[in-house]
Amino acid sequence: MKKLLRSRNTGLIVVLLILLAAAKILTPTLFTKFMLINTLQNNAIYALLAVGEFVVILTGGIDISIASQLAFVGIICTKISCANPGVPGIVFFIFSILLGALCGALNGFLVGYLHMVPMICTLGTMYIYRGLAFLVSGGEWWFAAKYVDSYRWWAIGKVFGIPMLVWWVVLIMIVIGIFLGFTAPGRRIYAIGTSRESSAVAGIKEPKVTFYAFTICGAMAGLAGMLNTANYAIGYYGMAESFEMTAIAICVLGGTAITGGKGRMDGVALGVIIMAVINSFISMIPGMSVWQKALQGGIIIVAVAINYFTERSAERQALRERGALI
Amino acid sequence: MSEYVLELKDVVKTFGGVRALNGVHFQLKKGEIHALMGENGAGKSTFIKVITGVHQPDSGTMLLEGERVTFRNTEDSAKEGIAAIYQHVTSFPDLTVTENIFMGQEIKNKFGFYDWGAMRKKAKELIGPLSSEIDVNKPMGTLSVAAQQLVEIAKALSRDARILIMDEPTASLTRNECLQLYRIAKDLRDKGVSIIFITHRFEDMYELASRVTVFRDSTYVGTWDVDGITNQALVKAMVGRELTAMYPEKTAKIGDVVLEVDDISKEGYFKNVSFNVRRGEILALTGLVGAGRTEVCQNIYGIMTPDSGHIRLEGKEVHIKSPIDALALGIGLLPENRQTEGLVNELPIYQNVSSSTMKQFVKGGQLDVAAEMENAITLCKKIQLKANDITAPPSSLSGGNQQKVVVAKMLSAEQKVLIMDEPTKGIDVGAKYSIYEIMNDLACRGYAIIMVSSEMPEVLGVADRIVVMKAGRVTAEFDDVKSTTQEMILEASLKERSATA
Amino acid sequence: MPGSNYDRDLSVKEGFVLSKFLVKWEMILVYILVLLNLILAVFRSDLFFQKGTIQSIINAGLDVSPLVLGMVFILLLGDIDVSVASQMILGGMVTGLLMDKGVPWVIAVICGILICMVCGAFNGFCVAFIKMPAVITTISTSMLYRGIVEIILGENSLKNFPKWYNKIGWFNVGPIPLSMILFLIMGVIFCFILHRTPFGRKVYIVGNNPTCANYSGISVFKIKMEVFILMGFMAGIGSIFFIGRMGGGVSSSMGTGYEMTAIACAVLGGISTNGGKGKMYGPIIATFIMAFLTYTLGLLGVDPNSKKIFTGVILIITILISTINKQMIKDIKLRTLYHSNKNIEALNDRTNEQIKDLKKQIAACRKSGKSQEISKLQGQIASLKKECDAESAKLWEEQKADEARAKARYSAK
Repeated sequence: MKKLLRSRNTGLIVVLLILLAAAKILTPTLFTKFMLINTLQNNAIYALLAVGEFVVILTGGIDISIASQLAFVGIICTKISCANPGVPGIVFFIFSILLGALCGALNGFLVGYLHMVPMICTLGTMYIYRGLAFLVSGGEWWFAAKYVDSYRWWAIGKVFGIPMLVWWVVLIMIVIGIFLGFTAPGRRIYAIGTSRESSAVAGIKEPKVTFYAFTICGAMAGLAGMLNTANYAIGYYGMAESFEMTAIAICVLGGTAITGGKGRMDGVALGVIIMAVINSFISMIPGMSVWQKALQGGIIIVAVAINYFTERSAERQALRERGALI
Repeated sequence: MSEYVLELKDVVKTFGGVRALNGVHFQLKKGEIHALMGENGAGKSTFIKVITGVHQPDSGTMLLEGERVTFRNTEDSAKEGIAAIYQHVTSFPDLTVTENIFMGQEIKNKFGFYDWGAMRKKAKELIGPLSSEIDVNKPMGTLSVAAQQLVEIAKALSRDARILIMDEPTASLTRNECLQLYRIAKDLRDKGVSIIFITHRFEDMYELASRVTVFRDSTYVGTWDVDGITNQALVKAMVGRELTAMYPEKTAKIGDVVLEVDDISKEGYFKNVSFNVRRGEILALTGLVGAGRTEVCQNIYGIMTPDSGHIRLEGKEVHIKSPIDALALGIGLLPENRQTEGLVNELPIYQNVSSSTMKQFVKGGQLDVAAEMENAITLCKKIQLKANDITAPPSSLSGGNQQKVVVAKMLSAEQKVLIMDEPTKGIDVGAKYSIYEIMNDLACRGYAIIMVSSEMPEVLGVADRIVVMKAGRVTAEFDDVKSTTQEMILEASLKERSATA
Repeated sequence: MPGSNYDRDLSVKEGFVLSKFLVKWEMILVYILVLLNLILAVFRSDLFFQKGTIQSIINAGLDVSPLVLGMVFILLLGDIDVSVASQMILGGMVTGLLMDKGVPWVIAVICGILICMVCGAFNGFCVAFIKMPAVITTISTSMLYRGIVEIILGENSLKNFPKWYNKIGWFNVGPIPLSMILFLIMGVIFCFILHRTPFGRKVYIVGNNPTCANYSGISVFKIKMEVFILMGFMAGIGSIFFIGRMGGGVSSSMGTGYEMTAIACAVLGGISTNGGKGKMYGPIIATFIMAFLTYTLGLLGVDPNSKKIFTGVILIITILISTINKQMIKDIKLRTLYHSNKNIEALNDRTNEQIKDLKKQIAACRKSGKSQEISKLQGQIASLKKECDAESAKLWEEQKADEARAKARYSAK
């Protein structure tokens, strides 16, 4: 019971319940089935990016190029699909993952093997991918009419009444969650984020782990790129600008330590839901939409500050326990 | 088949110009506990890192049961059955005990996933005989240091280690925990595991080891049977120099009390510490590493502030909240780790020297670099710094000269009290002597000096008075240094806590 | 006393060395700048020599310049501030709103700058006091500050700014753009602050080694706060440059990406993101390079969005160049040439030393004209090389044999 009270997720669930209660009073329409599904669908892209970002943050790094990767991969998929309407959607589904992984692998190589600072490295690749996205698009915009149904189905097609996009998010969260929690490579991501020195002693190759963490992140961003264009049936080089910030926000909100090594997939899932509720909340109340950015920013800063204060009190607790020895 | 399970010959390892190991030898028999002893900085830790493949030796050979081996990383050494338990436990505090044991060699089921069940079962099997109290599902960070060490042993056992290296495992254990560790070590030995046991404590050596090897100043001194060597001979082997010739004659006149530390405590570090230091006096604060000496100094200097107690400077009570206050009052500190606390390696020497006294050189809002250099040159000449010129970065200097730069930095301001934390750590004999001379000279000029040191001969050779700490408390004070012996200090620094404390 | 007659001249011996000066990073930047100009002059000579082209290049590129100057200090601390563009817009908004209310422009401008300084102080507080990572702090405050602008302005934009704003973005004093004059004046002041004052020195010390700074009686908290507030101040100045360049208008969506350009300029100028390394001159030159680069590419027919690729590639390559050092080269050599065998490396290093010595002797002989000696020494070098190669090969063989045996042992288990 004590453990349950101290757990971060409990706190998040309480926050969520308060938010939902407020939503129930202020915007009764939120709880219709249509609105719920719509909310989930609208925030699914953030969720995909957040999962990728989560993996990178666990290693102690950060990737701010994911939104650009999304745009780059999304544009390429769109362009090919529009030029060849006969190609089935699954080809793009797989292609987007592979291409995204390639983009991520470049980041991973630079950070892992060439020891670049993650922030600056991904700042550079952010420019590059965004520029490539423009180059590929030729400045052209694609709208709904140009998209074929087999392409769009991968995002908006419904199974059991729920859009595919949401299914993908659920599936990926489970897969990545299992990967991180129950496989050796996954646990090694936690290990290098916790302590690089201990990892070296345990025989874990840090460059390799960093490399595949960024690759996974890229794969998620690539997939998000394809699904984003399929979902909204719009593709242009500037899409998803600053989505990386939201993804980082979700991770931090879900209790992921920005210094690495700490965080759980269920926390990220909760972070996604809270962010989704806040977003839809904002969109429901008239005049609130302008508040979105400021609220998100404020929320992250408070979440990180709380993380730091709890960590420091834990340290103090540890000291006190050591003091008992003297 | 060789007589020795592990043999190292002529191993050399340098780190950026500093020799950490200088042609050392080592021979380990099958099924023996072999103690490895030496002062701090003698190269013991580097030595085990070479054996386990964390570092690669610059030259030399390593034989495993007579066959030459090279370890590129810890994986290689683990495959050969070598495991190490490091001094600072290298674990993942957020991961569970089970995971810590199996990190890097996970048990997987046929789908390639973690087999948590199997791992937990195996972890319990491994931990069970060592301790019945450790829950394998708890995060490592919640365990006591002793328990963490047991987990590390379990980790080594899980890898079928035939050679086990323990780096000062008893340093932070209580008496009972030590006894438990002895029992486990003996059990392992009887099962045929060879153990290298690194320790500072003679007690450990007598209790466990059959042979002992001593390193000093990165070199190999010798190997003896434990039964065949006396305590004195061993101390001499570790210290290795004649006391008399090593230290300059003391000439300072001792005056009134300058700094008085009265019953200060800091939770988690030390409790009820009191001592004083007089003008022209060198007070040695000694004890084992981790006894809380450095923390006491940091509390006087304002890096931390004590929870309770008083500090009086020339009879007036002072409240030092930060090093800025301390420096303003005339208290200087020569920090323990010159690399991380004393020097900015990337900036030129003269900027390092003036870093705490920049105010003196401001002229019209501008730094007077010429005056700054002038001052640095004067100071550095006084302490006979060997450097190319004053704009060279400290990283280009040898350890002893780097320390001199930190001393010069401390001298650039007029002070009353100087705290020197391990002033001669890791520097060569010649440089040590000149540091002692400087200290002596300062004492003559009326400075009160507190010297923290783990080297007993140094303490006896330099200090006018000795305070010994053990586990956060002052356990002894020796006013008459001439009649104090190393054994007396050692006894005080190993003194067990009384039951009431 | 031993060594009491020892006296070493510690004073600075090495004066100005031209060959070293010419390969300094700042000089390399100058070459790049000249090269860019040459490219422009050759390929678009029609435009290049036309009156006003250079001025407009500089005017267009310098609206980010105040941010660069502030960012240098932030990066020198080892921190980063990605909220500067948002601060800039927020400051601009405050000025604009006050102007709308009819407040005298002096007060409006000062208030705009003050609000930026408050923003900077908040960042500094989070980083220096709560000790949050600068990246995450400023990412979230960048959303926060811009979000505040969105709340207040919504879709509207402000148009009422002092008339002289536009002059900064567009006016030339004779042949020289006003923005350049202002930038250079600020640059000189910042060079002075960083390289000549105790404050600048403290920034270097804190950036290189905060622990040591603390032990030396330097308040890390105070320095970090001051630098972040200075950054805020420069963001306020930046808002004047920016709005002037934009023709006297500001809205919530403007100026995105300016923080990244500012960081890129600073990094290109040789400031290490790990803190403590770099000089002020580099980023000043790099700001011009960035201006010319974007403009040159534009004139060569590359559209503004694809130019981002160049910016990114240049950023990454610059940092990679700065990470290559002796240790890295040694490591690569060890891995590729010496089969990761330290014994072979030690042998080769030793031999190389000997050969170097012999070569010096040869050079000495050449001067004195002893040709016989030379051939003898050359023979020595050859034999040394041969010996070393043979020995290395032997060691390598041994290592291979050891590895094979080790493998056999593992598989036996």
